[in-house]
Formats: sequence, C-alpha cells, structure tokens
Amino acid sequence: MKKYILKRVITAIFTLLAITLILFILMQLMPGSPFNDEKLNESQKAALYAKYGLDKPIVVQFFRYVTNMFKGDLGVSYKISKNTPITQLIASRLPISIGVGFAAVFIGAIVGLLLGLLAAFKRDTAWDTLATVISVIGVSVPSYVFALALSYQFGFKLDWFPMLFSAKDVIRSSVLPSISLSMFTMASIARFTRAEMIEVLGSDYMLLAESKGLSGNKLVFSHALRNALIPIITVLAPLVVDLMTGSLVVEKIFSIPGVGSLLVNAIQSNDYNVVIALSFIYSAMYIGIMLVVDILYGVIDPRIRVAKEAD
Amino acid sequence: MVETAIDKESYVPVEADFRLKGKTADDFVDTNFASQNFWKEVVARFWRKKSAVIGLVFVIIISFFAFVGPVMNEYTYSGQNLDQKNLAPRIPIIEYTGFFDGHENIKTTSGTKTVNYYFEKHLPDTFYWFGSDNFGRDIWTRTWSGAQVSLIIAVAAAIIDMIIGMSYGLVSGYFGGKVDMVLQRILEIANGIPRLVIVTLLLLLFKPGMITIIIALMLTEWVGMSRIARAEMLKLKEQEFVLASRTLGAGNMHIIFSEVLPNIIGPIITQVMFSIPTAIFTEAFLSFVGLGIPVPRCSLGSLISEGFNSFTTHPYQIIPPIIVMALLMLSFNLVADGLREALDPKLKEM
Amino acid sequence: MKKKIISIVLASAFALSMIGCGSSAVSGVSEQNDTNAQEAGSTGSSESSGGDLRVMLETPVESLDPQQATDGTSFEVIADYTDGLMQMDADGQAVNALAESVDVSEDGLTYTFHIRKDANWSNGDPVTAADFVFAWQRAVDPEVASEYSYMLSDIGQIVNAQDIIDGKKDKSELGVKAVDDKTLEVKLNVSVSYFLSLMYFPTFYPVNQSFFESCKDTYATSPETTLSNGAFILDDYQPAATTIHLTKNPDYYGADSVKLEGLNYQVIQDSQQALMSYQNGDLDTTLVNGEQVDQVKDDPSYKAIGAGYLWYISPNVQAVKELQNVNIRYAITMALNREAITTDVLKDGSAPTYTAVPMDFAAGPDGSDFSADQEKFKDVCRFDAAAAVDYWNKGLAELGTKEITITMIHDADDAPIKVAQVVKEQLETTLPGLTVELQQMPKKERVQRMQEGDFELGLTRWGPDYADPMTYLGMWISKNANNYGLWSNSKYDEIINECTTGETAMDAKARWAALYDAEQIVMDEAVIFPLYTQCNAELISTNVSGIEFHPVALNRVYKNAEKK
Repeated sequence: MKKYILKRVITAIFTLLAITLILFILMQLMPGSPFNDEKLNESQKAALYAKYGLDKPIVVQFFRYVTNMFKGDLGVSYKISKNTPITQLIASRLPISIGVGFAAVFIGAIVGLLLGLLAAFKRDTAWDTLATVISVIGVSVPSYVFALALSYQFGFKLDWFPMLFSAKDVIRSSVLPSISLSMFTMASIARFTRAEMIEVLGSDYMLLAESKGLSGNKLVFSHALRNALIPIITVLAPLVVDLMTGSLVVEKIFSIPGVGSLLVNAIQSNDYNVVIALSFIYSAMYIGIMLVVDILYGVIDPRIRVAKEAD
Repeated sequence: MVETAIDKESYVPVEADFRLKGKTADDFVDTNFASQNFWKEVVARFWRKKSAVIGLVFVIIISFFAFVGPVMNEYTYSGQNLDQKNLAPRIPIIEYTGFFDGHENIKTTSGTKTVNYYFEKHLPDTFYWFGSDNFGRDIWTRTWSGAQVSLIIAVAAAIIDMIIGMSYGLVSGYFGGKVDMVLQRILEIANGIPRLVIVTLLLLLFKPGMITIIIALMLTEWVGMSRIARAEMLKLKEQEFVLASRTLGAGNMHIIFSEVLPNIIGPIITQVMFSIPTAIFTEAFLSFVGLGIPVPRCSLGSLISEGFNSFTTHPYQIIPPIIVMALLMLSFNLVADGLREALDPKLKEM
Repeated sequence: MKKKIISIVLASAFALSMIGCGSSAVSGVSEQNDTNAQEAGSTGSSESSGGDLRVMLETPVESLDPQQATDGTSFEVIADYTDGLMQMDADGQAVNALAESVDVSEDGLTYTFHIRKDANWSNGDPVTAADFVFAWQRAVDPEVASEYSYMLSDIGQIVNAQDIIDGKKDKSELGVKAVDDKTLEVKLNVSVSYFLSLMYFPTFYPVNQSFFESCKDTYATSPETTLSNGAFILDDYQPAATTIHLTKNPDYYGADSVKLEGLNYQVIQDSQQALMSYQNGDLDTTLVNGEQVDQVKDDPSYKAIGAGYLWYISPNVQAVKELQNVNIRYAITMALNREAITTDVLKDGSAPTYTAVPMDFAAGPDGSDFSADQEKFKDVCRFDAAAAVDYWNKGLAELGTKEITITMIHDADDAPIKVAQVVKEQLETTLPGLTVELQQMPKKERVQRMQEGDFELGLTRWGPDYADPMTYLGMWISKNANNYGLWSNSKYDEIINECTTGETAMDAKARWAALYDAEQIVMDEAVIFPLYTQCNAELISTNVSGIEFHPVALNRVYKNAEKK
C-alpha cells in the first residue's frame, strides 16, 4: 500500500511539472505582451523583456521558474498588480475563493442530496420529475443571470444581504455568491444521488435486508444511504476545485477579490506569471484531490487495492 | 486483472487447436433476431417513460423552430433598425388581452413609468413578437437563429467528442498496463490545466468562429467520455465473448471496435445526450467572457450575455433566450435519463 | 478495516453536514438580527459617513508606484495622496502645486522650479528637489523599465533621457538637478510648449529616496509602504484590492481647502450592480452604461463627462488594394452615420467627431479648443449617403470591380462590439456591393495585428497622453508603430518634425497653425475615419460638488470636492 501511494505521489509531481512546461509553451503562443503594446517603442519593450528575463530561451525560463518555485517564489505580476510577488497577491485571495467555494459546495451538496433522495424514493412520480426539473433549471440558467437576479431581489429590493462582497462583513456578504455558485453542485449531486440510490435500492443485499424483515428508516440509513454516500463524496471532491476557479463570473458580479477573476484578468492582459501560478495551483489541487480519492477508493474497496498493488 | 490478461496472451494457439465450424444461416438469424429484440425493447421502455417522451417532444419542437423560426417573419437576425430599438414584445390579436401589447415599465430614478413606444413612435403596424433589442433587431428571429447555432455547436461538439473520447478510452482500457498508464497521465495533464486557459488560447490561435468553438468545447469535454469508455472496457474485456474473439485470432482493433463497442453503445449514447446540454452551457459561458460566436451572429449564450446588460432596464430581452435554453437543457436531460434507463437492463428490473 | 474506514468517512460526512446545517441555521437567525442592525446602522451611517466620498471604480489599481503606473485608475489614486510640481485647475490648465514659482529661460530650454517650504511627506520629511531627481532618474532607469519613460524622452525632451533609456548613459546624467533643497533645475533638448502641463502627470511625481530604500521591493504595495504629500493619506489598500480607503491628510499644506474627510473606492465590474449600489445609497458616484442611461437621463445627478479617447477606424492603405483608392476611403467615411452611433447605440454622451484630433483636450495659445470646429473638414468627412455612393461608384470604376469584401477587426469589449455591428450595417446598407466581415479578438491581439499590418480595417482608439494635438498628430508620421495603415507623406513628416524639434516649436502661434495644416493632410487623404470622442455617463449624487474631471492624465480629482 505504501509503495503504491509513493508511486502515485511521484507520478503526480511529474504530471505537475509537465503541466507547468506546457503552460510555459502556451504562454509563448499568446499574441501581444503583458506591457502596453500601443504606447511602447521597440527599445522600451526590449528593456522590459530584459528586466523580467522574458528574452531568455523558454527552457532557461522554465528551469529558473521551477527552481524558484521550490523556494516558494512564484515570480512577480507584470500587469495586474505590477511587481507584486504573486505569493502575496494570491495569499489574500485564495482563502476568500476557498471559503465561498466551500460554502457553495455545502449548500449545493445538502440540497442536492435531499432532492436526489426524494427523486429516488418517489421514483417515476411527480416528485421525481419535480426534483429533476428543479435541478436542471438550476444549471440551465447561467450563474451570472442567477447571481444578478438574486442580487436584485435580495440585495436591492429587500435589502437582506449586501450586494457586494465586503471584507468587514464576510459571512453575510458571502451568502448571495455562495447560493449562486451552489446551483451546479446541487444539480450534479441530485442526479448522482438519485442514480446511486436507485442502484443500491435494487441491489441483492438490499433485497436480503428487506427479506430479513428490516424496514423504514433503519433500512434506508444503515444500508442504502451508507453505501450510496461513498461514491457521492468522491464526486464532490473535484467539484470543489472547479468551484474555486470556476467562480470568476460570480466573483465579477459581486466584486469578490478571489482567484477566479484574477485568472481571467491575467489571461486577458498576458500576465504570464499569474496565469502560470494560478493554473499550477489549480492543477495541484485537482491532481491532489484525485490522488486522495483514488487512494481512499483503494482503502475502501479491496478489489481495487489488490489490482493496483499487483500493477 | 491486467497480469492475467497478459498471461492469456502469451499462449499462442496453433491451427491444430481449432476446427472451425462452418457459418450457417441459422447463426445469422439468431444474432439478428436477438439484437432487433433488444432495440425494440429499448424503444418500448423509452416510450413508457413519460418524462423522456415529453423531453423528446420539446427537443423536436425547439429544433423545428430553430430552423423555421428565423424565416417566419420579415426580419433577419442581423438587420438593424435603430429607430425601432428596445421595443417591448407585441403580438397581433394577443395584444388586445393586455399582454404582449408593447408596453413596458421603465424604472427611472424618480419612479416607474409605463410607456408604449409603438404608439410614441407611431408604429401601429409593427410587431416584434419577442420585442427588439438595442439595435432594433427582432428578438424572435435572433432567439431561434441563436438556438440553431447553439444546437449545431452542441451536437457537433458532442459527436466529435464522442468519437475521440470513446476511441481514447477504449484503447486505454483494452491494452492496459504501460499503454494505459501513459494515456491516463496524458489525460491527467489535459484535465489538470484550467479549461479557461486552454479555450482562450485556442480561440486566440485560430480564427474565431463556429468551428473553433466546436473544437474548444470538444477539447474540454472528451475527458469524461473517455473515462466512461475506459471503465466499460475494463468491465467487458475479460468476458467470454472477447476471449472467444481473441482466441479466434481477431486483431485488437477488431475486438475493440467490432466486439466491445456495440456492447457499450448504451452508456456512450447516454453520455452524448448529457454532453449536449453541457456544451450549450459551456458555449454560453464562453460568450460571457467574450470568446463566443463573433457578432452579428448569435447563439443562445451570446443572446443571454447581450440581454444581461439590459437585465434591469429591458428584462424582456433576456427572457426568451433563457427560456429556450432552459427548456432545451431540461429536455435533453430528460431524454438522456430516459435513454439511460431504457438501455440499462439492470435498472430495468426496478 | 473496511468497516472502520467507512464509518469514519460517514461520521465525518455527517459531521460536515451538521456543520452545514448548523451554520445555515445560525445564519438564518443572524440574518434577522443583522437586518435590524443594518437598518439601524444604515440610518445612522448615512449621517456619520457624510465626510467620506464613496466612489465606484471600474478596474482595480495596477500599481501605486508613480513611475510604474500606466492606467487611469492608478493615476487617480496616486494623485489623491501625492502632489506633483503642478496640478490641473478645474479647466485643465496647469497651475502650481508643490512648485511655488517657476522660472523659464528665454530660449525655453531651462526650467527652474522653486518648491514650497511647507510641503512635507507624511513621515515628517520635507519634500525636496532631490525627491524629484530620484523619481525622474527612476523613470528613465532601464532597470526600472518604466512604461512611461517616453514622457521624459520623446515628449518631455529632457536632456539625455533617451540615451539613459537606451543604456548608453548613466541615469545620473539626466538633465535634472537639485540646485538646493528646494530648487529643481530641468534642462531640455528643445523648447517644449506644453512642458509645464506634463508636471501633473504622475510619472513626474516625487519619491522620497530614503523611504523608498527602507521599503525595498515592497514599495507602494500597502498603506505602510506608501508616503503621502498630498490631500489624503492611504490607509486601506492591498495589491489588486476591490476596496481602497483614504483619509484626509491634516498636515497637507492645502489642508484648509480639502473638505472631504476621506475617500472610499469600491471596484465594481458589473455596471448593473454599480447602479443598484448607487440607488441604494452605497455610492456617491458611479459610471453607468448606455443601456442604463434611459433610466437615469432625466435625473439631475446624471452627467456625461468627456473621457478624451478618440475612436476611429484605421484603413490599411499599405496592404489592401481597395483601400489604397482614396474614393473608396471617402465613400466609407461618408457612409458612417456617427450621430446614430452616439445617440442610438452608445447613448452615454459620446460626441460624433469629424476631425483627426478629438475635441476638448487641447487648448491653443488663445485658449480655444483645437478641434472646436467640427465642420472644418466637411468636404472630406461628413455623413452624406448620396455623396458616399458617388465616391463609391467612382472608386469601384477605378478599381474595375463591382463587389468588395473587407474584414474589420475590433476588440471583444462591450462598446467596440456594439459600434462594429452598427458600422457594418451602415456601410453595407449604404454602399452597394460592399460586405464587411467582423472579427473580434482580445485587445492585445488586435493591437498586435494592427502593428504588424495584418488587417484591412481596424476599429481602434487613442487616449491623449498630454494636452497637445501632437499626442494624436505625432502618430501618423512614417514608420510610427501606431500609424497602423503605414500611410506615409513626406510633407506631413516635415511639418510634424518642424513642430517638435524645429524652429516652429518655439513659436506657439505658428506651431498651432502648422498643426492645422498637418491635420488637413490627414483628413484630405482619409488616413483615418474618425468616429466619436468617448464620454462616460456618470451619476454624481446631488449633495456632492467640486469633483474635477479631465480627459488627460488625471481623470478625476477630489481635492476640491465637497459632500454636504
């Protein structure tokens, strides 16, 4: 088992390095420079490139970047916040994105679970259809429209929650963004829960449990839900990562100083270091969570473990 | 599992091991009959599920309007008439009910006022069924031509992503071992880079347009498809019929695409149906960040992001594309759900 | 083992969901309390926060380092807490700020600034001439690589600036010298008529050397690492922050005339959220977009404010055969209904423009606006569909063709997308046989393609860097990177040269006349098709007065603003 985990961790590190290299190459392909293309002349541009070492061959840049990265230095921003170390830039923003992301996943997961259970137990009834409709409407209205509608109704008209994110009132000003973000999670979880529960309810051991005379809550909670939850949790993990970086639209509308809007701005202004650093963090979180899920799966399901150890 | 597969391959059968049975007509009748029966049953099961049928009906209706709707009145999707901009919806006959009669409430800083620009601008015979946008273009025409673009993009992306993702997953799952290892790492890398970065770069490198958007959508969606194909392959490749085919000397590609593929077509089709609404949605997101279909053409997504700017001023501009998009996604999801249950024999037992 | 782990997973899952439920329940309760509290607070705060002006920003600050900043937002915030030698008065004329008096030599090549005795930094140090020398040397230092270094070289013409930027000379050789603590002497290569008006540009703002060195790399990234010598003091800021706060500087030499207690900036990227926040009373001033103008145009707080940018279409006269024909170019420029673009589409008060230099930013020797007369070039640039068709047919006959397809590239931003669509429609309906294809792309790519000459028509804009027509006219000399169409005219080059470094540069009136001649050439040859001068539609609460708006350098100045 230990050997297997070690092997996976090492591959993950190499995957991350490969991703970083690809990002470097992709950055070279972007048209324009991070600097003010319109107003600068060639010699000024050359001076700026020299200052940031962008005139060096890509391989040299890459190795320098990786070496610095191991020292905890992600370079400086060229444009979005000039010459600010990216670690400083991200340090204040990542917790906000993670906070809003987690809140959204919580809301989404709980509502989604309830909807899914409802749909599974009342399968092929009006309840089932209703749950499907709610969850699909949740994803089919783009989050920015939903966000603005929420803001208009609960922020502007009713004045229950602030319309804009405020560092002084984090909890209350995160409510509307979290709800707008939770829609996608809710729909995914609802659908997945329904499918899993239907499968579990139809399985042989449930039949056995039922024939043993178990019924009602005990049957549902100690047998059905328990077995359905594990795959659901593994689906949740990657959703968390997506939400943290995928929240750019909602961040823009609620003026949240998070990493999602930072990534979009960085891409649009060719702020190479910021793009690479944020993409790297995203990849690291993604691969890390996938790794944990895989290992957990191995721990939970001995069949997978045996197969992988033999591998 | 992988080890044993290799063990089995290491034994090379010689001709003397086999005596081929002549192909008789009976065999053909038998297989044909069985497969026909299966699909018949699938169709029957699908029809029994009401929500799926309703979904299918809606998909057909929307597709119909997407191709016929834009030519149902005299307007074109790009024709501007700046004198008739921002007119509220007005439909003949229905206007006498007080709905769709062209009035709208404008919220000014001093209060709300109700106006009917059709009368103010002396346009008694002008009708914009869904209203007109801020260039004076007909929203009815634009909504349906947007739906058309969205449908084409989504279906094309889903089909291409099915072909690529499926082949990738099948090959990866079938060969296993080192091949699988390498292919899965590539997949991990592709999946590890934020989609927005890939899509933006792609749209910068190629001329913006429908084809580029299709490629961009395909690039972000194929991973899910390949996962499913691989998982199905892992389930099936140790089964007797694959073994039998291999012992009969069938090539790898033959086994993958002729033996295994027909057996997993169910989950694949279901996944395609699910990836169509995802593609429509992703396209809408691209429009919002300014990477969508180039103007003056429109998609549901670009219409929504255009209407978004008038959301608090002229809300009727955003409502038609949102309703069409929601209906389209809902019905594709319902169809996919129905199809999945109709195709999956295990779920059938329920 | 399996059982144990499942139970752990389950337990934690339930624990998590409990937290989830718990927190939502708690927030439900607190929500009610908070609404009450907020109601109480909001009535209270509207009285107590009377002193802070709450301003909406569209984009976050990029840099608070005066020599590194390049964008309007950054300039605006820097100018809130830093004074330069000069400042703009309400009409945009340069008046003394840190400089008490200025002596200009006869030949216009030497400027001597006498700095106020009572000007101090917020750490108590006096503002000295050395602070300027240090800052200006930074601006041209190749190691600092300031993007606005050309303000000192090309535009300011300070001695040796260009050589230092190119690395040929040491930065200590820059033509600027601290004669004593309070006297700064600047030497120029040639006489620059608008030199004083450059002094309010933040690139020329002073930096306290010892403070800068104590901050090292963190200079101007937090309130602790910024130093104020102006009307306000920065007290809440983070890199790329969405909120910024400044309080009045009690030690400012002009503190008596500063009426605001502070400034509170809020970055809001979505215009509808911005308007709602304004209507809610959370903002005192905000930008509104064209669609919202319908809602607010009758409001007394609505104002259209000139932003200086000239939007124009640049034809590629070098590479595109059809566009080399001047009649085709006349046809296109006359087929454009600029009124319709500004009143029906943009609606934000932007002004139709028929001159190569936009209105309201450059005043001449007699104080009049360079482009006040918009009918000056009406023979070659006006809206006239009939004339356009005549020119078009003439052009087509000369080219021996009946149909032309032209591609226009434009930015994938809100305003250019709108304008491009109308332009396409106007051109296609007016000119028979013309097809305009639109290609939208991010601004960076569009600029790169235009600089490389890889385009046919390009929709672009140019903002003035300083209050002189040269900021526009200097663009169309041969081989300038922003002369996108690669148009070239030796007579034009000669006039521009003469006005920058020649004899004419010394004589303000003759120079002004020469610049008109240059503009005439640009318009006669239809080198660009001017569209409109951008305005921003703003809402300014009626109890706020005295915010000064300028199209150049500092877009908004709050020193004299008042909130009742």
